[in-house]
Amino acid sequence: MSDWTRGSRRDANNSEIENSSYGPSRWSNCRKRGIDGSLRADRGVDGGEKDLHADSSSRHSDKRPESFTTPESTGPVSRCSRQADWGSQVEDDEMRRGVHRDMQRYRRRILGAEVTQRERKTSSGSSGSCDSKEGDNMETDEAVLLRRQKQINYGKNTLAYDRYIKEVPKHMRQSGVHPKTPNKFRKYSRRSWDQQIKLWKVKLHTWDPPAEDGQDNVLDNIEELGLGDVMDIELDFPNLSDSQNAPTTHILSLDGEDCLGTPVKVQKTESTVEPEMSSS
Amino acid sequence: MENPTDDYKIQSFDLDTQMLLKTALKDPSSVNLVKVSNVIVDQSLKDQVFSKEAGRICYTIVQAEAKQNNGSVFRRNMLNRLQQEFKNREEMRGRSLQEWVCYVTFICNVFDYLKVNNMPMVALVHPVYDCLIRLAKPDALMNEEEVRKNVDCLVLQLHRIGEQLEKVNSPRMDELFFLLRDGFLLQEGLSSMARLLLLEILEFRAGGWLLSGTAHKYYYSEIAD
Repeated sequence: MSDWTRGSRRDANNSEIENSSYGPSRWSNCRKRGIDGSLRADRGVDGGEKDLHADSSSRHSDKRPESFTTPESTGPVSRCSRQADWGSQVEDDEMRRGVHRDMQRYRRRILGAEVTQRERKTSSGSSGSCDSKEGDNMETDEAVLLRRQKQINYGKNTLAYDRYIKEVPKHMRQSGVHPKTPNKFRKYSRRSWDQQIKLWKVKLHTWDPPAEDGQDNVLDNIEELGLGDVMDIELDFPNLSDSQNAPTTHILSLDGEDCLGTPVKVQKTESTVEPEMSSS
Repeated sequence: MENPTDDYKIQSFDLDTQMLLKTALKDPSSVNLVKVSNVIVDQSLKDQVFSKEAGRICYTIVQAEAKQNNGSVFRRNMLNRLQQEFKNREEMRGRSLQEWVCYVTFICNVFDYLKVNNMPMVALVHPVYDCLIRLAKPDALMNEEEVRKNVDCLVLQLHRIGEQLEKVNSPRMDELFFLLRDGFLLQEGLSSMARLLLLEILEFRAGGWLLSGTAHKYYYSEIAD
């Protein structure tokens, strides 16, 4: 499992981030921020190429045990892994407060919608949409919300997202056509949520900035569309974790990397880790 | 039109650095924010005047960066630098009392200005208390030079952030004030000035972080004259 931790995008260890140097990844041009969190924008490979958000929302404890299996729990959350550095503590704190504030706003919005629903119901006699029940069925588990927020932050911290929101204002969005951020307050199973995030990010890729090398995008999409597909073609997942070792070559090679466990394990891992591993 | 950068007291920096700071305030993503944060922290440790207000410039840069690109590079680096210095504070104090006092001033100032959703940064609460308590320990009150520096710093910070600190952690404020009372009562050879400062802060807190009118007159009217 050390291969995961070594090459992993998410490094629990700050000093590791600071001390190691990573080459450009295939997704570099889509990444809005470099490893130190500084905006990459139009800069080249300066500032780091791994999408390690400076904020701790990216940080998961990646010291996965040898007997790693798909976690059924909410999984490693940075606040659980005792981030000792003040920078991370403050960011975690900020995210937590943000989530709570969002929760209050959302509740208020839903209550408002419920009232309107009830009024419409009594006047028209028609049955309301599921919105009226949403207040009762809201996700409130802080750990879950934080994890989801982090996943959303990943998607939003991309050039693609920036370009998307500039190009398509909210009122012009068409459902089905335009990507919509999954609603973290709705109750979903873990798998369902992860899948929504994955699909959302795939859709966002449409707004990726033009790559220098056209082949980049093609392979990005292959990766995104189906891990199963990738396994079939025997492309190597490990590349996703050490993509920095493969600058512009698109053959995902396992140079000197040990195999990452059995395909099944890796696949399972992927489905839970995917949000972090995906190219956006 | 008011020149906002005057408020940040950056005149003590060389011109190039002043330029860097001014740019950081307006266009954070165009500068190396790690460098900017280091520059600010370094200067705060050297320049007491700057350390007293450095929190403000930090706040502005943090806001500007967040607004511009939702980033937090500056804040993260600044806080981690602060943490580094905090870890080595005994060594710093042993090496240079002046630097130590500047550090405490700076970290308190940061605590004051840099809020997260209008709440103080939880991560800084204990460190700030650790610093203030350190200033009130018997060994900090032993010789005249130490006393003046330490007590001056201590009372200034308590005036500024005492109330906030107490709100987020009252037991530690009690701990601090036990030491202050001890210092006031038991420390031999304490100058009358030092005793005055300590007495005032004791009354200040006892009054709910407010001096009564008469107390204010007692402590401050002479200065006014």
